[in-house]
Amino acid sequence: MDQMPVVQLRHATKRIGSKNIVNDLSFDIPAGEVFGFLGPNGAGKTTTIRMMVGLIKISQGDILIKGQSITKNFNKAIQNVGAIVENPDLYKYLTGYQNLKHYARMVSGVTKARISEIVEIVGLKDRIHDKVKTYSLGMRQRLGIAQALLHSPSLLILDEPTNGLDPAGIHELRNYLKRLAHEEGVAVFVSSHLLSEMELMCDRVGVLQAGKLVSIQNIKDFVHKGGASRVCVTVEPAQTEQAKRLIASLNKITLPEENPGQLLIQMNKDEIPAVNRLLMDAGIQVYSIQMQEQTLEDKFLEITEDKK
Amino acid sequence: MSGLIANESMKIYSRKLTWILLLLLVAVTIGASVLGKMNTKSSEDWRAEAIQLAHQYEERLKITELSPALRADAENKLKIAEYRLENDIPTSPNNPWSALLTFSGLMEMVIIFAIVIAADMVAGEYTAGTMKLLLIRPHSRTKILLSKYIAVSLFAVVMLALLVVFGYATNALFYGLGDIHTTDLFLNRQGQIVQQNVLMQVIKMYGLSIFPVMGYVTLAFAVSTILRNSALAVGISLFIMIVGNSMIEATAKMEGLKYLPFANSDISLYIFHLPARPEMTLGFSISVLFAYIFALTFISWMVFKKRDVSI
Ligand SMILES: Nc1ncnc2c1ncn2[C@@H]1O[C@H](COP(=O)(O)OP(=O)(O)OP(=O)(O)O)[C@@H](O)[C@H]1O
Ligand SMILES: [Mg+2]
Repeated sequence: MDQMPVVQLRHATKRIGSKNIVNDLSFDIPAGEVFGFLGPNGAGKTTTIRMMVGLIKISQGDILIKGQSITKNFNKAIQNVGAIVENPDLYKYLTGYQNLKHYARMVSGVTKARISEIVEIVGLKDRIHDKVKTYSLGMRQRLGIAQALLHSPSLLILDEPTNGLDPAGIHELRNYLKRLAHEEGVAVFVSSHLLSEMELMCDRVGVLQAGKLVSIQNIKDFVHKGGASRVCVTVEPAQTEQAKRLIASLNKITLPEENPGQLLIQMNKDEIPAVNRLLMDAGIQVYSIQMQEQTLEDKFLEITEDKK
Repeated sequence: MSGLIANESMKIYSRKLTWILLLLLVAVTIGASVLGKMNTKSSEDWRAEAIQLAHQYEERLKITELSPALRADAENKLKIAEYRLENDIPTSPNNPWSALLTFSGLMEMVIIFAIVIAADMVAGEYTAGTMKLLLIRPHSRTKILLSKYIAVSLFAVVMLALLVVFGYATNALFYGLGDIHTTDLFLNRQGQIVQQNVLMQVIKMYGLSIFPVMGYVTLAFAVSTILRNSALAVGISLFIMIVGNSMIEATAKMEGLKYLPFANSDISLYIFHLPARPEMTLGFSISVLFAYIFALTFISWMVFKKRDVSI
């Protein structure tokens, strides 16, 4: 097995004027991983992608794809890459099929059968011979994904691929990308604003803030790490005060509730049974106990707020 | 490389604009042939006709404010008419080859249409945002740019070919297929009258016109690459073409202007012995055009190769 990471960023920096738009990025993506690239608007995600595919020069550092430098060995490096950069801009006056034929002619080994296979995968079979100018945004996005997958790349780079897709399309794409990575060993690099999407799709996330990588970790650690979750306990409204006193006796913090009868408690998952028993023993009527897991959204806001 | 050229050609010929231009070119070529036919009277007595022509040009030469180009033209024609009478050489019968030689004006149309397409080759991809997906393939930028340049050059050649084919076909309907050995009187570089094969002159004129056509194609292509704006590329190229045409006469007075492309951009001037300056030759014009083509190509290449693509 080839153990070399598919992508290696080595202190990649992009300077425009006197500003570092992307600042000293270093990380690897191994084969078979879906890597999520998060960051608020203007963080430098697209700029990083442009450097990765050689559209813009790297001011400092280097980016290697399968060990080949994108700057020094462009052809060798880029042949392993399929990408959508920013919007899936395709030739509007050509049909979807002509677009794919166009890109197929630029690499070796893409057969007609392969084009048909890809068209099937992205679900454009019925419309592939129509002009792209008649496509909806979601259909263009699908065609964009098709052109990126055409030559079976080892690295798939998608800049906000779910933009414009319908829920079914998002679901299919998510499953397809996971399958590509986990079964076929493709490294998938996805940037997106849909944080909940990332949570469902990525194995690891990196958070970019003003051009700097502020966090990079496994999605599970990323979501769950960092202290207690919140638990919402619903009790008989008349017994709210009594329940509050009981919980305070456990040295748990009760957050201000939204509705009468609702208690928001900061605690870990494994403490729930104990709290439950305490309330029951005191004769308090408990209607529900719910873990409120901190979402990626909260986490993301937390991280990006912190670093400001 | 052939795949890249096939791609670029597919993009050129998949657009409606291209077909409108080609149709227009064919229509105007046929139209010009019909007009030409209506203005040709087939006279029985070539001698009377030559005498009448000589008289007409003599009269024209008496006009004092005649422009130098028209004066040179009249002098040439007078010379030929007189030579014809002295040496008893009848006018060659009406034929499609001679008709094609009168179409040099249509070359301007080929140039304008080529400019329109060339101006969009690079800028169009930037405007549509397709440049980024084009450049992230295992091909150097040099090859991508070259394939675009070759594709648009081929398009220009196709237009020249259409002009010749439809021009010939329409005139062949009027005058018959024409004898390929047809000769006529022309003035050579030294201004002497010689008999030359008309077909050879046609081949020379249209074949060498590829240089001025390529000059403008390269100009539009370069502006398109550098400014990334199709409309600007068309505008600037046409502006230079129009200003340039009006500078051909000025070249007669100012020697330095002969090094600009303009006075070198009309090959028919050499077929009919009307160079902008007496010392200018066909070889000189082609060398000047070639130098400009080379310089513009080089600049486009440098810019395209180095540029950050962030749109
Ligand atoms: N050519 C350029 N010249 C100057 N600044 C630029 C240029 N391109 C990008 N920037 C700046 O770089 C920063 C990062 O832009 P980038 O497009 O990479 O952000 P992003 O993370 O992709 O944002 P979004 O989520 O909105 O897509 C922005 O502040 C932008 O203004
Ligand atoms: Mg972006």
